[in-house]
Amino acid sequence: MAAIRASSLHHRYQPGAPPVLEGVDLELRDGEAHAVLGGSGAGKTTLLHLLAGLLRPSAGTIEFDGRDLTAASPAERQVAQVFQFPVLYPALDVAGNLGFPLVNRGWNAAAVRRRVGEVAELLSIAALLTRKPKQLSLFERQLTAIGRALVRPDVALVLLDEPLTAVEPAAKWRLRQALKTVQGELGLTMIYVTHDQTEALTFAERITLLHHGKALQTGSPEALYEQPAHEAVARFIGSPGMNLVDGEVSAGSIRCNGQVLGATAAADGRCALGFRPEWAAVGERGVPVAVRSVRALGTLGGVATGLVTAELGGQAIHVQQRLDGPVGSQARLHIDPSRILLYRNGWLVTDATG
Amino acid sequence: MRANQKAWLAVAPVVLVVAFTAVAPLMTVVNYSVQDIFDVHTRLFVGLDWYRETLRDPRFLEALVRQLGFSALVLALEIPLGIWIARCMPLQGRMTVAFLIILAVPLLIPWNVVGVTWQIFARPDIGLLGAAVTALGVSYNYTSSAFDAWATLVLMDVWHWTSLVALLCFAGLAAIPPAYYQAAALDGASRWQVFRHVELPHLKSVLTIAVLLRLMDSLMIYTEPFVLTGGGPGASTTFLSQYLTSMAVGQFDLGPAAAFSVLYFLLILLLCWLFHASVMKRGDAAA
Repeated sequence: MAAIRASSLHHRYQPGAPPVLEGVDLELRDGEAHAVLGGSGAGKTTLLHLLAGLLRPSAGTIEFDGRDLTAASPAERQVAQVFQFPVLYPALDVAGNLGFPLVNRGWNAAAVRRRVGEVAELLSIAALLTRKPKQLSLFERQLTAIGRALVRPDVALVLLDEPLTAVEPAAKWRLRQALKTVQGELGLTMIYVTHDQTEALTFAERITLLHHGKALQTGSPEALYEQPAHEAVARFIGSPGMNLVDGEVSAGSIRCNGQVLGATAAADGRCALGFRPEWAAVGERGVPVAVRSVRALGTLGGVATGLVTAELGGQAIHVQQRLDGPVGSQARLHIDPSRILLYRNGWLVTDATG
Repeated sequence: MRANQKAWLAVAPVVLVVAFTAVAPLMTVVNYSVQDIFDVHTRLFVGLDWYRETLRDPRFLEALVRQLGFSALVLALEIPLGIWIARCMPLQGRMTVAFLIILAVPLLIPWNVVGVTWQIFARPDIGLLGAAVTALGVSYNYTSSAFDAWATLVLMDVWHWTSLVALLCFAGLAAIPPAYYQAAALDGASRWQVFRHVELPHLKSVLTIAVLLRLMDSLMIYTEPFVLTGGGPGASTTFLSQYLTSMAVGQFDLGPAAAFSVLYFLLILLLCWLFHASVMKRGDAAA
């Protein structure tokens, strides 16, 4: 295991080509389960390749336990990776696949067999050891690929590149559980790259959100949800994402569409107002909104909840709330004033608590 | 019953086409092979006599041994060489296109022209290859030395057909997802292991096709040795097809030639089937 520190990583695939990564900083504690979350084209896979040593960054450094390994080969880094689809050596059986990295490092046959047995036991694939990849289900194949990533006891970092993509939906949960259990038991430093926030939020202790080649925020799942550092984070996390409406601050009050929504210590000027759908309610108090639709989401604790889509000053917003009574087309919106977040130039205004 | 009749009607076109293109000609040959034909009205049923005679004919057996030796030799050279060339090619970029075009050139040349080209190319007096080898002090003459004739023929076939293997293997290599190479690099695999455990398994199906095509084609080779050596010197490069032609067209021995043809056809069928079955069986065992 190792603590990993990547500092101001830049990468472009060809000189003159648009940059894929622009100054990404990433820090992982030893034994941390870390997720890198981002949409397609955010640079997730490039970041993994840089960490694995499959690519050299255009600029920036990568340190493992304080050692600069920016120029080191994949084998020197003791890095293992699980890919989007199960990558197995077709001619080798499961035991051969699991033992492959050990054989390559000169382990003797008895030691390889013992270690392969341990890993197979850990992932409950001991019964499959003599099967060839073709005889396995997708789930079993990916489990074997995960096993091969874990087989080296000295592995410094395990990279998971959307490992659940190819697995049938029913098996996704089982595979994620298996990963999480193994990560905890072995204390592995793991990076889990995904575009699926549910996977990231349930797997990781900390998440880094990557957007257009920049790491916008690193923090606990709660931090990313409650205090998104950037509008892109606010929109990406949550389903639906955070509401962001145009507003302004003047003389200590937050205003939208001429109405006062709350108070703030932030400086005067235009800004975006952010609030989660469940931090607001459509009812009899607050500012007037035009309700566009109400969709029932189900019942929670015997009370129906729904998603109200409304227009606030011509901007669509979503509100998630209990549906105790009928919601008219003309109603009022109340936002918990202590939870309104202010964004200027895309970034969270941090001195706005008020 | 009526439904069955309709089904027969539906497959009738296919049955007709196959009957005229494959079954009828083949049956004509089979028909000839069991008769001794003197003229249109005089024929004699001889059973399997022609088959017995052919199988006891030392010239047939010699041609058969030569044929098998030739096929084994060119396959043993072309398959590894084709894989090696494909591995050396850049997977993408402008150079790839250039390589592909150069590789495709030998495949586009008519077989006759290949024979004529090499006939001139290898001449010890004026041919570039033959004269160069002779100038190096090596005694080389494909018209008088059986060894030289074989070497020239094998070289010509390798020149002509390695491209096919290389192109097929290139297509196979290009289809391997990069993740396999990345995984191998992370697992600390050597170059040989990358070839053995990543490339070779993924090339299995294209290599099966390549071997089958080259096996069938090399067993049927006719034009090039006919043009280059005419089967000589002596009968040292007379392969099955050439011996068959001299028997059927030269001597007009229709009965023995028909029996020969059937045996020849069955031989190619048998060898290809044996190869395919062994590959498939191993595939199943591995599957």
